[in-house]
Amino acid sequence: MKNKIKVYRAMHDLTQEDLAIKIGVTRQTILAIEKGRYVPSLDLAFKIARHFGVNIEEIFFYGEEPIRPRPGD
Amino acid sequence: MKKNTFYLLIGCIALALIAILWYSIETLQPLLIEAAFIVGIVLVYLARRRVEDLIEDERSVKITEKAALRTFQVFWVIFFAFSIGAVMEILHVPEFPRLLHPERPPEILPPRLMGYIQLGLLCLMIFLYVGFRIYYARKYGEWETDEE
Repeated sequence: MKNKIKVYRAMHDLTQEDLAIKIGVTRQTILAIEKGRYVPSLDLAFKIARHFGVNIEEIFFYGEEPIRPRPGD
Repeated sequence: MKKNTFYLLIGCIALALIAILWYSIETLQPLLIEAAFIVGIVLVYLARRRVEDLIEDERSVKITEKAALRTFQVFWVIFFAFSIGAVMEILHVPEFPRLLHPERPPEILPPRLMGYIQLGLLCLMIFLYVGFRIYYARKYGEWETDEE
């Protein structure tokens, strides 16, 4: 499972500590998720996605890139 | 209460318990350390509820769960293997014919020694848990560093 948390953090100008406090986990957890050492629960994944205001598939995905929904879908 | 204050308090309670253990050994009062241990644990739980910083989340819970499960999986086999031997010795009936080595007396562990061995195995369980905890903490990035 890969993710783009680091990218979204940079886009929202957030440190790992800031994001961790906002979603109620420790900084080490954010770091472990970013580095792929820990796969978050669905609950935490949704919290992270909601915090950035995107769908969960935009941040968490298998393979190289997330599958973006087509305009007609 | 801050996170570091909580950890400092745990350290102080641990030191106090060691001192009380020493005193209860010197004065032969086992009830003293038993009561102190229970009070110490209650104090830790009360202090934990007052910690404002986040000290536990789903990753740390998962590390604890995995370490506890693996410890139990290893420990129960060792403990049961020894205990079943101990039960066999307790139930030993000397009147059974000893066909293989009739000249040798039956090997029976004294119950006190069995207790000491079981106590030793319980101590081993603590080391097992610490070992598994370190392993899973590493696996789930507890000591990872970042450029940030």
